[in-house]
Amino acid sequence: MATVLIYAEHKEGKVKKVTHELISEANRAGAESVVFVAGQGLDAVNKELGEMGAKRVIAAQGDAVKFYSNEAYGKLFVDAVKSTNPSVILIPATAQGKDLAPRIAALLGVGLASDCTKIQIDGEKLKATRPIYAGKAVADVEFVGPKPYMATVRPNALSVGAASPGASAAVTALSLDTGALKSTVKDVVRGATAKLDVTEANIVVSGGRAMKNSENFAILEKLSEVLPNSAVGASRAAVDAGYRPHSYQVGQTGKVVSPTLYIACGISGAIQHLAGMRTSKIIVAINKDPEAPIFQVADYGIVGDLFEVVPLLTEEFKKALG
Amino acid sequence: MAISSLVFLAVVLGATGLFAYKASILFRLAKATKGPVWSGNRMDRLAERVETFFTNVLFQKAVLKKKKAGLMHVAIFWGFMIITIETMELFAYELFPGFSLSFIGESAYATLRLIQELFTLLVLSGVGYAFYRRLVLRPEGLGKSTDAIIILSLTSGLMLALLAMRSFHILAEPNDNNAVMFASMWISGIWQSLGVTPEVASTMAAGFRWFHHLLVLGFMVYIPSSKHLHVLTAAPNTFFRKLETPKGMRKVNLEAEDATSFGAGKISDLSWKDTLDLYACTECGRCQDACPAWNTQKPLSPKALVHDLKDSLYENKLALLSGKTDEVKPILGSKITDDVIWACTSCRACESACPVFIEQTDKIYEIRRNMVLMESRFPAELQTVFKNIENNFSPWAMSPDERDKWTEGLEVRTMAQIAASGEQVEYLFWVGCAGSFDDRSKKVSKALVSILKKSGIKFAILGKEEKCTGDPARRAGNEYLAQTLIQENVNVLNNYGVKKVVTACPHCFNALKNEWKDFGIELEVIHHTQLIAELIRSGKIKPTKAVDEKVTYHDSCYIGRWNNEYNAPRTILASVPQLKVNEIEQNKSNGMCCGAGGSRMWMEEHIGTRINVKRTEQLLEAKAGVVAANCPFCITMLTDGIKTKELTDKVRVMDVAEIVDQATV
Ligand SMILES: Cc1cc2nc3c(=O)[nH]c(=O)nc-3n(C[C@H](O)[C@H](O)[C@H](O)COP(=O)(O)OP(=O)(O)OC[C@H]3O[C@@H](n4cnc5c(N)ncnc54)[C@H](O)[C@@H]3O)c2cc1C
Ligand code: SF4
Ligand code: SF4
Repeated sequence: MATVLIYAEHKEGKVKKVTHELISEANRAGAESVVFVAGQGLDAVNKELGEMGAKRVIAAQGDAVKFYSNEAYGKLFVDAVKSTNPSVILIPATAQGKDLAPRIAALLGVGLASDCTKIQIDGEKLKATRPIYAGKAVADVEFVGPKPYMATVRPNALSVGAASPGASAAVTALSLDTGALKSTVKDVVRGATAKLDVTEANIVVSGGRAMKNSENFAILEKLSEVLPNSAVGASRAAVDAGYRPHSYQVGQTGKVVSPTLYIACGISGAIQHLAGMRTSKIIVAINKDPEAPIFQVADYGIVGDLFEVVPLLTEEFKKALG
Repeated sequence: MAISSLVFLAVVLGATGLFAYKASILFRLAKATKGPVWSGNRMDRLAERVETFFTNVLFQKAVLKKKKAGLMHVAIFWGFMIITIETMELFAYELFPGFSLSFIGESAYATLRLIQELFTLLVLSGVGYAFYRRLVLRPEGLGKSTDAIIILSLTSGLMLALLAMRSFHILAEPNDNNAVMFASMWISGIWQSLGVTPEVASTMAAGFRWFHHLLVLGFMVYIPSSKHLHVLTAAPNTFFRKLETPKGMRKVNLEAEDATSFGAGKISDLSWKDTLDLYACTECGRCQDACPAWNTQKPLSPKALVHDLKDSLYENKLALLSGKTDEVKPILGSKITDDVIWACTSCRACESACPVFIEQTDKIYEIRRNMVLMESRFPAELQTVFKNIENNFSPWAMSPDERDKWTEGLEVRTMAQIAASGEQVEYLFWVGCAGSFDDRSKKVSKALVSILKKSGIKFAILGKEEKCTGDPARRAGNEYLAQTLIQENVNVLNNYGVKKVVTACPHCFNALKNEWKDFGIELEVIHHTQLIAELIRSGKIKPTKAVDEKVTYHDSCYIGRWNNEYNAPRTILASVPQLKVNEIEQNKSNGMCCGAGGSRMWMEEHIGTRINVKRTEQLLEAKAGVVAANCPFCITMLTDGIKTKELTDKVRVMDVAEIVDQATV
């Protein structure tokens, strides 16, 4: 049976959903799903991985790998590859996975299909589908050359299988011998927000210069509270004016998001902003200027004063969503 | 030979030996930097090189770009040249007692002495002003420098020693001809009134002569380790300068089989010309004063960069001289940091200000290449840009098949259609990514199309076949990605046999005009302001409609400082009825960058204050309702600046083409 090695991403003792998606995909293909996980205090994580359907877990556990580091995790992952000899490697196309996968591919000297939206494991073979030309077309790629075949897969692209409570995976501890490292992560300092990051949210409500001050962002916060899995973003103008910290900035030099729903409030739609949200599935624009370029990319446009429209929307959503 | 002559000879030989040793090390270090020279051959076009030597070294044209400091320098420079004749005469006198240049004829000799006397005073006043500048005025760019104080003290010591020597000599050997040395004569009067006898005066004259000798020799030995090294290196650096202003980025041979590294990671990766640049720096600070990054509190100062690179050269002296290049330490470190290198907007204000023709930008962009190609070390925002260029052939994630969407309803033909119909066009209109995808810039593209149609000129675009020039990647150090795009574009252009190109984007303009010849295509490239100026001149279009506006003009770096075009846009504006132009002080080659060049357009400006806001503030001084520009990125930057200043209702940014389109029928 072919072995599929999966990188598990977890945060605060919880395994991220995308890992479950990858495990399910490997199991659906009838392969042996082996999961690599690194970090500290992994018991809960290991248990969860077993319930997600992982057959085996290779755990690199200890203080030295408490925090994610591209260099250390990369080396350990390669060790896991050596001991499991997989034919396919799957890594989530998350910030962490995008950082890690190229390094592993380079260390192993193998090819990598990045940002895939579909994969097909067929025995020892791997076919992957990835969007190109800004999502206008998709390319099917097939691997040739030396194994293992590697792909990073976008979150929410694959479906998850049912969890099996009580199931457990065989856990093997991996030696933490990373050799000499050029850098180690001592501590991770989080920004003040504990809220959902704009890149992870399913719905983004963004405000622009028209918000006028940071207090006014409260009306967007209120809207966001009503909408499940949503976050508040901002244009650079709003960030520059100090209404929001830079980590909220959507656009060319901020975050690139592609949520299911993007609501742009008082944002003109400069190309630098569009660069960060154009690929959202549905775009709603609220702007009092009917000529604003944002309306050209919007699926729904509301010409009006956002200070009137947004509270109304919040009310309506509240009613509709109960 | 007299004992004193022998002693003098020994001192001269000793000092010369020491000087030669120090100079030879500098020479060997320059030879140990083996990287390729930017923009090629520096030994060709000898006549022009001799000419630049005359105008800029002997006649100090570049130095005089700054009035007061320039005049001060001219006084010291020419003073030194003239006085060196006397120094040589005195040296000869020491070796062959009694030697004098008086054999050139009495009146000629008297004239020479008069001139020398005058120049001694001139140097003294120059040095006096220099002291005043350093100690009292203290312009920021000059910084603090003990070295400079030592040099100035030595220089004034030399002049004072000469005056003292002459004055005692006059007293020791009275002669009617001495009257020409009026100042020395006056001083000798003082000695006389103090009762100094001719014998004592003779001893004093000899003493000051020796003092002068020793100062001269000491100066000579000091030079190679001081910023005054420029007295030896500025002249050759001017001679080997890049003769014309326009330039492109050096093409890296990525296929070279023996290449182990690309770009400049270590000082040994730079070229001999770069090293000569480092030696030639006078630390005058003009570049720093002009630098938009420095002026908005970024950690980049071109002056400091040159200085720090020189430090890196000296710190790696042993490794360089013994040929052990693998032991040479990386350039990036505590002084030259990543932020220094990424802060540059490639505006070339530094190069345009430098009196000794140092090319600061070449070094910065060669270092970026090394960071990106060898270490994948670049600001995070660039990752998206690289990916977009790679996947969508545009720095923005825009779909390539929408590239020509802006032409809907305009009847603009593509080269493919032209080729199919067997027709010919005069110009290819290179639209560029901004002109194709950015709503604001699309309006400029449309205005240009309208002008071209009014003029009856035949043109076509590439449409979907056009790709990003790769310039945003190239200036961000990603030579590999850039070359891929350039080559693909060049193949398309060659396929259609394109010869003449017009574009409204200065960055595309510079790339196509000055860089693509390295990739196998010779194009005649013209910026839209140049073409429009020509169309107006030849009467093909006539601005007859009044545009009742006060306008100020912002020079883009890539049309201005990179390509020396300051007139075309101004003649256009001047030809529009009723339009009034208010120039600001910081214009033409002294203009300030909008902040977008050098791929800064694609990076966040996290440090200091915003360049675009500072530039906007300068332009607002003109109290004009319209800021005219010629570049899509300048337009973005200045529009954003005006929004920040909350003046959107009062001031608009317009491309010159938009103004002309309004003024013509
Ligand atoms: C190097 C560089 C990088 C950049 N990166 C980014 C980036 O990452 N992200 C980004 O967003 N921008 C970026 N920009 C800035 C971009 O060019 C625009 O300036 C910016 O996006 C404008 O923000 P805005 O739409 O909020 O403001 P504006 O353009 O001022 O638009 C405000 C809009 O609000 C509307 N409005 C006003 N009042 C109301 C009201 N009461 N109700 C409804 N509508 C109202 C107005 O009609 C207008 O359309 C970058 C620029 C540069 C030069
Ligand atoms: S090119 Fe411009 S930004 Fe770069 S160092 Fe020179 S003056 Fe400064
Ligand atoms: S690089 Fe040129 S302008 Fe800058 S300090 Fe040196 S000599 Fe002056």
